[in-house]
Amino acid sequence: MVLDRRGFVKCIAGASAGIMATPLPWKLLDDVSIWTQSWPWIPANVRGENFVVRVVSKTCPSSAAVKVRLVGNRPVRVLPDDDHPLGGGVSALAAAEVHMLHSPARVKRPLLRGPDGAFMDISWSKAAEIFAGKLKEAGGKSAFICGDETGSIAEVISALAKGLGSEDVCLMPSEGQCAAKAAELMRIPGQIGYDLEHSDYVFAIGANIFESWGTVVRNRRIFRAATPHPDGKTRLKARFAYAGPVQNNSAVLARPWLPVYPGMQTALALGVANILIAGGRTADALDFGAFKELALRYTPKKVAQITGVDPKGLESVVNALLAAEAPLVIVGSEFGQGAGAAPVMAGFAVNALLGNINRPGGISLLPWDEAVLGGASSRSRLYANDLAARVGDWAAGGNAPSLLVVHEANPLYALPGAIPAKQAFKNIPFKVAFSSFLDETAEACNLVLPVPMGLERLDDVRTPYGSGQSIYCVSAPVAQPSEDVRPAADFLFSAAKELDLKMGAASYEDLLKSRAEGVVKTDFAALLAGTGAVSHEKIKVPEGYSLCPAVLEKNLMQASAETSFRLAPFVKLNLGTANTGIPPYNTKTLRASELEGKDMFVMMNAATTAKAGLAEGDAVTLEAGGRRLPARLRVFEGVMSDTVAVCLGYGHTALDAFSQNKGANVMELLSAVPEPATGLTVWSQAGVAVAKA
Amino acid sequence: MSANKDFNVRWGMAIDLDKCTGCGACMVACQAENNLAPVADASNKLRVMNWLVVFELSNKKPFPDHELVYLPRPCQQCGEQPCATVCPVIATERNEDGGIVSQIYPRCIGCRYCMAACPYHARYFNWFDPIWPKGMEKALTPDVSVRPRGVVEKCSFCHHRYMAAKDKIRVGGGSVYVPGEKGRKHSAIPEDGYVTSCAEACPNGAIVFGDLNNPAHKVYRLTRGNAHAFRLLERLGTDTAVYYLSSREWVRRLGDNYLQDEETQKPKRILPNKH
Amino acid sequence: MNVNYNLPLDAELFPEGCERCSFSQFLLWLAVVGLVLLWGLYAAFLVLSTGLGVTALDDYFGFGLWITFDLAVIALGAGAFFTGLLRYILNIDPLKNIINLAVIIGFICYSGAMLILVLDIGQPLRAWFGYWHANVHSMLTEVIFCITCYCIVLIIEYVPLILEQKQLNKNPLLHHIAHNLHVTMPLFAGIGAFLSTFHQGSLGGMYGVLFGRPYAFRDGFFIWPWTFFLFVLSAVASGPAFTVLIATLMEKMTGKKLVSYEIKSLMGKIAGTMLLVYLVFKFLDTGAWIWSIAPRSGLDFDSFFHGWIYGKWLLFSELILCGLLPCFMLLSSSMRSNPALFYLAALLDCTGIVINRYVLTVQTLAAPVMPFDRWVTYSPNWVEWAASAFVLAYGALLLSLSYRYLPVFPQEIRLNGGQAKKL
Repeated sequence: MVLDRRGFVKCIAGASAGIMATPLPWKLLDDVSIWTQSWPWIPANVRGENFVVRVVSKTCPSSAAVKVRLVGNRPVRVLPDDDHPLGGGVSALAAAEVHMLHSPARVKRPLLRGPDGAFMDISWSKAAEIFAGKLKEAGGKSAFICGDETGSIAEVISALAKGLGSEDVCLMPSEGQCAAKAAELMRIPGQIGYDLEHSDYVFAIGANIFESWGTVVRNRRIFRAATPHPDGKTRLKARFAYAGPVQNNSAVLARPWLPVYPGMQTALALGVANILIAGGRTADALDFGAFKELALRYTPKKVAQITGVDPKGLESVVNALLAAEAPLVIVGSEFGQGAGAAPVMAGFAVNALLGNINRPGGISLLPWDEAVLGGASSRSRLYANDLAARVGDWAAGGNAPSLLVVHEANPLYALPGAIPAKQAFKNIPFKVAFSSFLDETAEACNLVLPVPMGLERLDDVRTPYGSGQSIYCVSAPVAQPSEDVRPAADFLFSAAKELDLKMGAASYEDLLKSRAEGVVKTDFAALLAGTGAVSHEKIKVPEGYSLCPAVLEKNLMQASAETSFRLAPFVKLNLGTANTGIPPYNTKTLRASELEGKDMFVMMNAATTAKAGLAEGDAVTLEAGGRRLPARLRVFEGVMSDTVAVCLGYGHTALDAFSQNKGANVMELLSAVPEPATGLTVWSQAGVAVAKA
Repeated sequence: MSANKDFNVRWGMAIDLDKCTGCGACMVACQAENNLAPVADASNKLRVMNWLVVFELSNKKPFPDHELVYLPRPCQQCGEQPCATVCPVIATERNEDGGIVSQIYPRCIGCRYCMAACPYHARYFNWFDPIWPKGMEKALTPDVSVRPRGVVEKCSFCHHRYMAAKDKIRVGGGSVYVPGEKGRKHSAIPEDGYVTSCAEACPNGAIVFGDLNNPAHKVYRLTRGNAHAFRLLERLGTDTAVYYLSSREWVRRLGDNYLQDEETQKPKRILPNKH
Repeated sequence: MNVNYNLPLDAELFPEGCERCSFSQFLLWLAVVGLVLLWGLYAAFLVLSTGLGVTALDDYFGFGLWITFDLAVIALGAGAFFTGLLRYILNIDPLKNIINLAVIIGFICYSGAMLILVLDIGQPLRAWFGYWHANVHSMLTEVIFCITCYCIVLIIEYVPLILEQKQLNKNPLLHHIAHNLHVTMPLFAGIGAFLSTFHQGSLGGMYGVLFGRPYAFRDGFFIWPWTFFLFVLSAVASGPAFTVLIATLMEKMTGKKLVSYEIKSLMGKIAGTMLLVYLVFKFLDTGAWIWSIAPRSGLDFDSFFHGWIYGKWLLFSELILCGLLPCFMLLSSSMRSNPALFYLAALLDCTGIVINRYVLTVQTLAAPVMPFDRWVTYSPNWVEWAASAFVLAYGALLLSLSYRYLPVFPQEIRLNGGQAKKL
């Protein structure tokens, strides 16, 4: 055979064309492209009917009102509820809530610590039996810690404790507690509220109102409405100034940000009072004379010395307050806790001098909600119990209860390192945790009872601290619990029944209904649908209220620790709470300048860094009270001089891979001291040594 | 595709940097809405999938004169896209209906040329298959398909919400367009009928979303003739649909590269402005 | 049958009249190559089974070592099309002595680049989308078209050489095929030159069109940015030099003369000439970049460089040390006649082009464009190195087999004093 050129080309071309004419190559290619779109290990979209349910977040400390979008029976999104007084946008924490329902850190079934020290799964009936037995055994020697200050669960716990003969019911420390103590000492029989809605100039001292103080989502919605977008022409309606040691989420929006040393709220507020009084302002408090005498000693110059504030800056802010129609001064902790009652009192005094108590845009005095269950302590009564002091007692040995029940709280993580919570836990023979997540405290308990998350249970929110009006919200469950959980309230009601204790209500739902219809006087069904019941009722400013100058003075005298640097902890909601840890969907929101692998960054300004002989990126050790904290250093010019800023929320040892062993827990460094004359424990001023690791 | 056409409707944003606290809610809302998988260690930012990133801008002045601004950066939805023009397989293109630059995941071959082209780093590659902690896939939305490894993805201005809003109108028997001024057509969707997940989530209202061509929309007023508006890298000619607002000159100056003696520019519309 | 046990086992397969090392020695060499191949295969398996996350690439560096490697080998492999062009179209006859090697190198470079691309694209099963959903506006589309087409051309150019293997050629059919292909070779050389010019250009165009990246962006002519033409010129300026270097490396390894020095020198002269042409335009281009594109983008010269890793030394090395210097050396006949200087010049020439491909790939991506963005650095990890080494080993394998069994070097017998029966 002779193949010539033509034949050769024909042969090749024919063969190619022939194969191409068959469906084979085309079908194969088509199949390949389909395969690459539908690998079995890639989750497919699951469709279903869409619903939106209005709830109030029990997970986010801002008590954000949100809408949950469900597809079929699956919650898939947390959306803002703009029509709710606590709504308008979502926080970074609330936005991640539906995913947290499936968090690896969730407790999946009741756990009992076995004789070998390891947890074993037990049934709910077994758990109920053990729990009832322990309650009976401990009786009045039971103690309770509740991590939910706004929910009625605190009342259930308190009723149960009463029935057992125990007064040991403590809420976790909070700003609300500090304010309640302040109100009590000032002889104001109500809850202090802040009518941000109608204020046209807000000066926040310490209080990080856009991230960690009060009703954050509401605060931010109000800021949105009050601030026009910049165009070089429109004048700002409401303005906002902030004083604090760190250029935090609130400070970035403040004009101006007044940098001050950490924990100096009381002195700074007195500085404001000084200028106001010097300008002729008065308040009608019983002891105004003594207060005036005290305030006049806190001249801008002296305040500048103590707090490091720029006196000119302070004066301009006070002038702006005076020029405003409805000025409001909010004084709170820089990290949402531990500041004590004095700053709130000083803040109240400033507002009184501005004449805004119970005026639009000022401070509102809201009636306390009373207990519904007979025998239960009211919220204000529960606030009076200082957990930190009690834990100290327990650790000391003598008064340790024989049973501790912790409800949705993580004291082992969240209390200052100086408070010997771990030792206290050791001294308590049996500990029970009601928790959605296996956190540090749950890990240290003998019995862990998984509770549904907020979205999976019926619960309520009573006027959160910071709100300008009384509000009551009921949150209906939107999702089937994804684990084998029981609501703590139901469990406690059945335990009470088991022990023949009278609770005053048949069930939690019954309790909420009684509150809604009996106390708040609102239709329960409407509340269940997600509309909050708002009351504009205020209590009168009591004639004989006090500004507590003596308490303030004692607090101002308290010397801060003699160390080279001051510690300024701050809060970011995207890191979750002590209970939740870092939500899985939030790790990406942490900046490279905040966390690198397992290393967290603490921040100092360049001058302070130089003073400490350190450099950007250095591995450092912070030390206070003999406790050490490893970190790396970020030079950040938005930190007060001689101050180290450290973010809370790192250093979880429990929970899941999204939170575990990332950075260190700054709470460890904090020392705790009793606040003079208030009975609260405070931890807002800490000295710290910084050294190269 | 490469030609920068002046479409009737041009969805866009005005992001008010005077209002952003940098809280990250928009980033979380974006991930949740668009089914981005969480990762336990997200500290390697060059590998973390985020359609929306909040940058931190500093005036570089020492304490106490330091100022800080957060800048959320979604896909800028360029009118003149560096990315769509280079894609060899038309896996990304600017849609005539709204001017949104799409990303077609089943089409993308993962060559990453578009990522090299985008100066905003708005494009992300799936380096591995996405993994959700067991059970968390139940919280996936049905609106956006999950992307496998090996494809590029980016912000779509929650395009599925646009589709849904149009569907709603069509189901009601209406037309998706209504006549506007000077022969232009506007979307029949009400201003709040189509909002991106990030804009919706922000409690501060820092992100304003709407049709840049519709005089009735807030973004129209905020972006035209606003001395405090700017766009990122204006002078590259990308004609982005995302405007930023800041009352601070140093912030506006950081929006683009300037030689020392140059003045900070105001945004110019590259298109022949018909209004 | 009369078997000469002094000859290697596979001696029957050797090209007519050529001597080769023993079979066991050859196997030993193949084993070394094989180890590298296995290492690369393991890396490829990791990439294909788990994803590109196993590399050091990231969202800032979507392109890295692999794309640099591809661009570099495609530039260096340009010896094939350019020599083919000169030999078959412009009839520079002496080049027939090196054209076979140039073709093999070209084939290795292009097929190797395609192997790397299979790993480098995230969805290799969709690689054919480049044809099916082609975006005619994309430079990369043209690259996909031309590279695949040109690879086919290179196969067609390679096939007759394989068929001329002593034993295969005894088969009349194969002999005819080889013969016919030889006759049509000028046609394929022409097609090859056309395709190559365009994809070399388009590869450059890929960077020049990136108007979002002032480091790479260039103005241009019609739809082609200047990088389009610069890439063509730089490829032809380095391809011949690379062919010479490979020939010389093979000579060193085999201990034989394979290509006469005059041919190499001629190739060097061609490379030098093209390098000169290239550099003229490259300097003009660099000037336009510094004084026009940069200020237009609000940037100055300094803003394109960062620290040591992306320092100005790269530009100096590319343009002066590995540009002007080898250009001068290659064009000077006295320097060309000194083998050491000549080979050094060829090496510098190739290095300069590789630096060019590297900076356009990596430095382009490392340089921040948004003023508040930052410089990022990239360094490839072992997976990327292993895959690249795989291609080198694959090239070594192909060259070794070709050299041992195929009549690649027409001058070999004469240069080594063998009794040439026929040339």
